[in-house]
Amino acid sequence: MNTAELPMILFTVIAQMCVGMFLVLGVIDLWLSRSHPRAQVERITEPVVYAIGPALVLALVISMFHMNDVTHVFNVLRHVGSSWLSREIWFGVGFAALGFAYAIMQWMRWGSALVRRIVAGLAAVVGLGLVWSMSMIYYSLVTVPAWHTRVVPVHFFSTAVLLGSLAVAAALMATALIRRRALAGLDAGHEGAGTPAKGKATLMDRVRARATEVNAPTTDTEWTLTTDVVRRATLAGLVAGVVVLVTYPVHIAHLAGGNATAQASAHAFSGAFFVVRLVLLALAAVLIAVVSYQVAGTAKREQPNLLAVWVCAAFIIAVAAELSGRALHYESMFRVGI
Amino acid sequence: MSESLTAKGADYGFRFDQSLCTGCKACQVACKDKHDLPVGVTWRRVVEYTGGSWQVDGATVTPNVFTYYTSISCNHCDSPICVQVCPTTAMTRRDDGTVYVDQSKCVGCRYCEWACPYSAPQFNSKTGHMSKCDLCYDYRSDGQMPACVAACPSRALGWGPIAELESGAGGGAGIAPLPDPALTHPHLVITPHRDAQRWDAGTGQIANPEEI
Repeated sequence: MNTAELPMILFTVIAQMCVGMFLVLGVIDLWLSRSHPRAQVERITEPVVYAIGPALVLALVISMFHMNDVTHVFNVLRHVGSSWLSREIWFGVGFAALGFAYAIMQWMRWGSALVRRIVAGLAAVVGLGLVWSMSMIYYSLVTVPAWHTRVVPVHFFSTAVLLGSLAVAAALMATALIRRRALAGLDAGHEGAGTPAKGKATLMDRVRARATEVNAPTTDTEWTLTTDVVRRATLAGLVAGVVVLVTYPVHIAHLAGGNATAQASAHAFSGAFFVVRLVLLALAAVLIAVVSYQVAGTAKREQPNLLAVWVCAAFIIAVAAELSGRALHYESMFRVGI
Repeated sequence: MSESLTAKGADYGFRFDQSLCTGCKACQVACKDKHDLPVGVTWRRVVEYTGGSWQVDGATVTPNVFTYYTSISCNHCDSPICVQVCPTTAMTRRDDGTVYVDQSKCVGCRYCEWACPYSAPQFNSKTGHMSKCDLCYDYRSDGQMPACVAACPSRALGWGPIAELESGAGGGAGIAPLPDPALTHPHLVITPHRDAQRWDAGTGQIANPEEI
């Protein structure tokens, strides 16, 4: 594995996953809103939103390790008119800022539902810009045959959809498990903590009250919706995985038919590590298929554990597959000239 | 000397005569010495390109081989890809057409290192910044020649405004193992070795990859 580029491997994969999660959530929200009341839709989508922030912050912090002089780090914003790397940082910061603004507005119930949706929509568009500019960083290098190809944006967006949809499914499962604990607490006679006394609600009281509201036990309808969403989201991930599997041979054939530098790049996609990457991706696809066609349809609200294990296994294996795929992306960096 | 060798709009570049170069690397050493470059940073390098095959004449088989040298540093390109991709604007083009790294801006992301097909920008782990040939800007400001050019014992290496160089002997920089000059339009005029091969028709290989 290409450890020298580890900060870039982790940053690109995690940031793309975050954008994917936000986009998948947006699609779920729009789809559910057609036939369900707003409150019910938010019961499904809201907790997942809060999982994106920490992952994105982690990705941005990791990206700093790529800079060898962090005291000059703000200079990377300067060359936006020419450098895709500058554009990527602007889009990254913009996505983080808009995503955070949406999350805090949602949590505090600031602004109308329409305003919040507009902010979320803007964050999604900027997120798309982030993945696009990330891929253009590599595509724009006309001196690197393995990167100056449309396969790069295709693979980057595929990573976003594959990991984004599986991360959303895994977060939904985590939510179900947390909410089941809340149900157990209610059964044992403990009222949800943090219900504020009227008129004296401090900020912390409001935060606790919202946490209790968000973590309230799952109803039967919500569980049916959750499993349906998990099934559809993971299927979207499966499609993205298939796109990667199909484009690899095209990419390798293209490189093998190119100049000597391109042919050297093609060698990166051979050997045990490449086989492991393909097997992991195929394994994730098989697990998704089982989740979608078998486990999600029969899982009971009272026993979400089995579905949670399947979804999380698919997610973890897909993350490993994409990290190794990204390592190969950097491994295939051979430049023309000397 | 009082004459300024940093004229605005001069678009300086290098001239290199492959038929004169003996591969002695005096240019490389002069550059390293003048700029006090650490181990692993070599702004000017001499590439040895070699190849050949067997010539069959009846029952006689004789080796038919070639080797030629190309001294290369930054070519202060007309379309410098390093300047284009640099996120910090540290990679800067002076009014005289030469490209240098503004050390007060560089963040050390090494993106220019990925981009340049001549390996001109090189990372200095001591400073955490990129570094590269600036065509000896301080020497030129004093009216002196770049160190590499002054050191060449066979006068294979020259420099000057690119228009002047192009009007003299020699042709473009499209010679193997250098890349397609259309990528960055280097300010480099090469007088080819008799065995020189086109950039896209090279049959040889670099004999000293660990040195460049």
